Amino acid sequence: MRFDKFVQPKNLKTALEILKKDPKSVILGGTTFLRISDKNYSTGIDLSALGLKYIKEVGDQIEIGAYTSLRTLETDPIINKYFGKLVPKSLENLIGVQFRNNATIGGAIFGRLGFTEIITALLVLDCELEFEENGLVPFSEFISNWKIKRDILKKIIIKKNKGKCSYKMMRNSSSDFTILSVAVSNFDKIRIAVGTRPAIATLSIKAAQLINSDKNKIEEAANLIAEEFKFGKDLRAEGKYRKMIAPVLVKRALQEVLK
Amino acid sequence: MKLKLNINNKFYNTNIDGDESLLDILRKIGFKSVKKGCDTGTCGVCSVLIDGKPTLSCQFLAARAKDVKITTVEGLGKQADEIVDLIVSEGADQCGYCGPSLVLTTYAMKKELKNPTVEKINHYLTGNLCRCSGYEGQLRGIKKYMGVK
Repeated sequence: MRFDKFVQPKNLKTALEILKKDPKSVILGGTTFLRISDKNYSTGIDLSALGLKYIKEVGDQIEIGAYTSLRTLETDPIINKYFGKLVPKSLENLIGVQFRNNATIGGAIFGRLGFTEIITALLVLDCELEFEENGLVPFSEFISNWKIKRDILKKIIIKKNKGKCSYKMMRNSSSDFTILSVAVSNFDKIRIAVGTRPAIATLSIKAAQLINSDKNKIEEAANLIAEEFKFGKDLRAEGKYRKMIAPVLVKRALQEVLK
Repeated sequence: MKLKLNINNKFYNTNIDGDESLLDILRKIGFKSVKKGCDTGTCGVCSVLIDGKPTLSCQFLAARAKDVKITTVEGLGKQADEIVDLIVSEGADQCGYCGPSLVLTTYAMKKELKNPTVEKINHYLTGNLCRCSGYEGQLRGIKKYMGVK
C-alpha cells in the first residue's frame, strides 16, 4: 500500500471533503495492509487523533469508536459483560496480540472482507453503524450491499439485548484465518450468521425460520445451512469441506443458545 | 515529512515518507534489534511497545508515531536481562532472531495478565514465531518469569 501524501485533518468534516474530492484518497484504519496490498493512493487520510478510540455504555446501547483497536475490544470489561463474550471470542485468535493492538474495528468492518470474524459476530446482534455522511445504517445492510463506498465510519452501536449467544469457528492452525465462522444469538428470535465461506458472513433466512418455528428442530435447521449457503474454495479449504463443517458448527451453536 | 520520535525516552529527529512503516524508520535510525522478518504482519519479530502495548512495527505508520512512546528492547535495560537470563538458562536461545520481540512481548504480558496461566501465556505469545527453538525451552524460561509452574 503506497500513498503520496499523508494528511491528518482537524475534523471529520474536512476529512470527508478530502475523501470526496479526491477519488484516489483513502481513509487509513489500522494499516494492517501496509505491506500486503500493492494499491497506490494519492492521499492517506489519518483520523487517529480525532477521538474515535472509545467504548462506552450509553443507555441501552454500547458505542464503539471506529479507531478502537481489536485488542481493546477483546479485553474491554463492557464488551466482555455482554452477549456471552461473543465479540471477544470472534477476535481472540486473529494472528497475535501485536496485530490486534494495531488493527481497528472500523477498518475490519469497512473492508467487508470474507475472513473477518467480527462481521460474523456483529451480524447476529442489533447493530448499527454511524457514518459522517450517510448517518445511521443497519450493520446487515452495510454488509450485504456495497452502496456506501466513500464515507467515514465514526462508530458502531450495539443494543444491549438480553439473551444467549454462541460463536463457533474452525481454523487450520491457532492464529490463522478461519475456514468457517458461525455466530448464533437468541434474543427475541434466533439469528444465525455463517462467515468465511470464504465469502463474507451472511444471515441465514431458511434455517433461522425453521428453528424459530420449532426450537426442537436443531438438527434439521443445522443441516439446512449446508443447502442454504454457497461454500467455495480458497487456499485454506475446499467448498465441500466447508459444507460438511457448517452444519456441525451451527448445531453446536444452536444447542448452546437453546440450552 | 519531518518527524520527532520518542524512542526509549530519548528524542530523535528524522525525515520520513508518509507511507513508511515504523519498522523501516527504526532500523534507519539504528535500532537493529527491531527485526525485519516477514514484513507482512505475521511473524512478530518487528514488535515494539507503543505506549506499553506490543505492536507490529511493520504495520504501524511512522507518521502516526509522533505522539507515542516507543520502546525497543534496548529501552528495557535490566528488565530485559532478567527475561533473557531465564530463557538462556533453559537452553532456549538459538539463532536469536525472534529474541528481542519475544522479550518485549513477555515484558508487556507480565504487566497485562492479572492471573497468568500456561494457556494464557501460550495464547498471548501466539504472534511470536520462532523457527528454531520449538518454543518449549523459551516457555520454560518465560513461565519462571511469569511465576507460573
